[in-house]
Amino acid sequence: MNKMFAIMKREYLQAVRKKAFIIMTLLLPFLMAGMMVLPGLMMAKGMGTKRIAVLDGTGKLESAFARPNAPEEGEEKLDAKKEARKAISGRSRRTLPSQMQIEYVNQPGATEAAAKPYLERISRKDDAPDKLDGVFVVPPVALTDPEAKLTYFSRSATDVMTQERLARLANKSLQGLRLSANGIRPEVVDDLLQDLDIEAVQLSRSGGRKTGGELNFIVAVIFGALLVLPSFVYGQETMRGIVQEKTDRVVEVLISSVSPVQLLSGKILGVAAVGLTQIGVWITMLAIAGGYGAAVATTAGVNLSQFVRPIVFVYFFVFFILAYLTYVCVYAIAGAVCNSEKEAQQFMMPIMLFMMMPWILMMPIVMNPDAPFAVAFSMAPVFGPITMFVRTLVTDPPVWHVIVSILISIATIAAFFWVTAKIFRVGILSYGKRPTIPELMRWIRVA
Amino acid sequence: MADILAVRDVRKVFGEVRAVDGVSFTVRSGTITGLLGRNGAGKTTTIRMITGIFMPDAGRIEWLQGGNGASAFRDRIGYLPEERGLYKQMKVVELLLFLAEIKGCRPADTRKKVDYWLERFELSDKRDAKIEELSKGNAQKVQLVGTLLHDPELIILDEPQSGLDPVNIVLIRNLLGDLRKEGKTILLSTHMMAEAEKMADEIILIHRGKVVLEGTVDEVRGSFGRNTLHIDFDGDGAFLCDLPQVRKATILGSSAELALHEGADAQDILQACVSKFRVRKFEVAAPSLEEIFIAKVGAETLSAEVAR
Repeated sequence: MNKMFAIMKREYLQAVRKKAFIIMTLLLPFLMAGMMVLPGLMMAKGMGTKRIAVLDGTGKLESAFARPNAPEEGEEKLDAKKEARKAISGRSRRTLPSQMQIEYVNQPGATEAAAKPYLERISRKDDAPDKLDGVFVVPPVALTDPEAKLTYFSRSATDVMTQERLARLANKSLQGLRLSANGIRPEVVDDLLQDLDIEAVQLSRSGGRKTGGELNFIVAVIFGALLVLPSFVYGQETMRGIVQEKTDRVVEVLISSVSPVQLLSGKILGVAAVGLTQIGVWITMLAIAGGYGAAVATTAGVNLSQFVRPIVFVYFFVFFILAYLTYVCVYAIAGAVCNSEKEAQQFMMPIMLFMMMPWILMMPIVMNPDAPFAVAFSMAPVFGPITMFVRTLVTDPPVWHVIVSILISIATIAAFFWVTAKIFRVGILSYGKRPTIPELMRWIRVA
Repeated sequence: MADILAVRDVRKVFGEVRAVDGVSFTVRSGTITGLLGRNGAGKTTTIRMITGIFMPDAGRIEWLQGGNGASAFRDRIGYLPEERGLYKQMKVVELLLFLAEIKGCRPADTRKKVDYWLERFELSDKRDAKIEELSKGNAQKVQLVGTLLHDPELIILDEPQSGLDPVNIVLIRNLLGDLRKEGKTILLSTHMMAEAEKMADEIILIHRGKVVLEGTVDEVRGSFGRNTLHIDFDGDGAFLCDLPQVRKATILGSSAELALHEGADAQDILQACVSKFRVRKFEVAAPSLEEIFIAKVGAETLSAEVAR
């Protein structure tokens, strides 16, 4: 026990003292935050103002384009609560467009020919005073011909957002005009055209309700990543450590001093402690940032606890440990049988893809968390911890599902550990050729 | 002195290869036992079975003093493997404390010993250096310290002098002598016969997984008779090969080692020498372990290799 502790202590201290670890631990949250915020910022600010000429063949749309950057009328009616939730989920329908500066041209009977001088201005230099980024053409028949087409000319055909927004502005206005032309009073047109929001209500087993379930997908992905990524990263780390010990020839001293089981468990626990330390730091940082976010959300009338139940944190801890131990055993085997990191990576590649299955199938699992395949996955060895955790997050699985999943995972880990210790004993001293599968089987029998 | 360890008819097979094929010997307390043999003879495998790294396929390793507990035996051994290596990123002190800790010593109790041994090996100034900053010789010395820190009953050294410069070879030799004086038991594996001859009390010669010769150095050499001559001279020694009494002559520059036929008289050869060149040294000796080694296993292996 003391020996295992000695191995664990060394493993932990060596890892935690590394500069890379400290930098990674402190910096990663900022990098992640940056990665999430930057694209948004770029879209909002970085693209700058777009100058667009609108050639209106109908001559009736001037008011629609008068305030192109103001929120649409219908959206102003959203209450603060919805607004806040949309902001949190990042799924606001109101995408962030670049600012538009409209040059409205009333051009009844406008054709492409009339548009020509405007199109030329698109090709001007960027700093030319009359440079245009796009030309939007509304044909004269737009009000009468349902087959008519709006046209948007620009240098890049990929500025979908601007295009979308222009079309929406024009269409909304055109629909209004068409309806008024058929006897609907213009004042009520907007109300009549208003879309209704849909809200998802999640019924728990006990009959409780909670709304905001759409968010669970995002939460599932974030927590799933938090659960599984450290397992892979530290699994790799364990594998690298073992290969390193082999190439540095330290290993013979180790196994003449401690038993393979002591060595293996010391290593695995040491690296686990490193992982927990890191996650602990991250969660603390997240809590500080989240505390601020939650305060904002609460003032906006959003109860965050409805997205994540407290029990989820217990599940997270349990399934993190289970997933971690499962993966790390597999990586330890790879380390024990391979002689170089490169070789070990190759060895692990197919195995890793296999172990990533629940991750790859995350989408269908989250959308059908109670479907037979999801239930089976959540109780299968190796796949169990992450699938079960995601299920507890997005649905309310029966307790026996959770217990069976945990027990199966523990059994799997015990079996993996046993096999790993055996392979360790033989494999760790066999330099040279990597063993074949039959050889591995023999190792397991003889060791 | 009583025996401390007995190896009884152990065997180990790797695939088709019988690495160790029924080896038995005992290690006497307070002596240096040399485990000799060519590369691949089975020395390292035997040692790995003693240290508990491999389980023998058959036979057993017995501790003759104290208990035979499965885990305790690891702590009674100090083992310097042939494949040496240390954690490169660790500091010398940290590493030594770790090595002692996995042998069951509390770090608090070990610090003084670390200082003592670093002093003894003239490594005190390297205390806080990282292993990767050390020279190869110093790294080996650090590892040797790690082998001794927990005061093992049995010290097992696998080729301790390989890769060392002459100064360090002497340092190790003297250290082993000191350790024996302090009452330690040492099992020394080597293929350097001359070193074994200088250091070992007893030798065990292993060849192809079997013990072919064992006993004290004197016994072994005595059993081959005092029929070897060491001659240093000025002049041409070529004629020595043609003398009728000489069974085998090895002439290297101005020194020669002659193996004589049974019953030959060294006196006759001395006379022949005096008439041919200036003799600086003339010694009648038992054969060196080197010669015995070659006589015992060399000829056979050589012919086997030629046949292949």
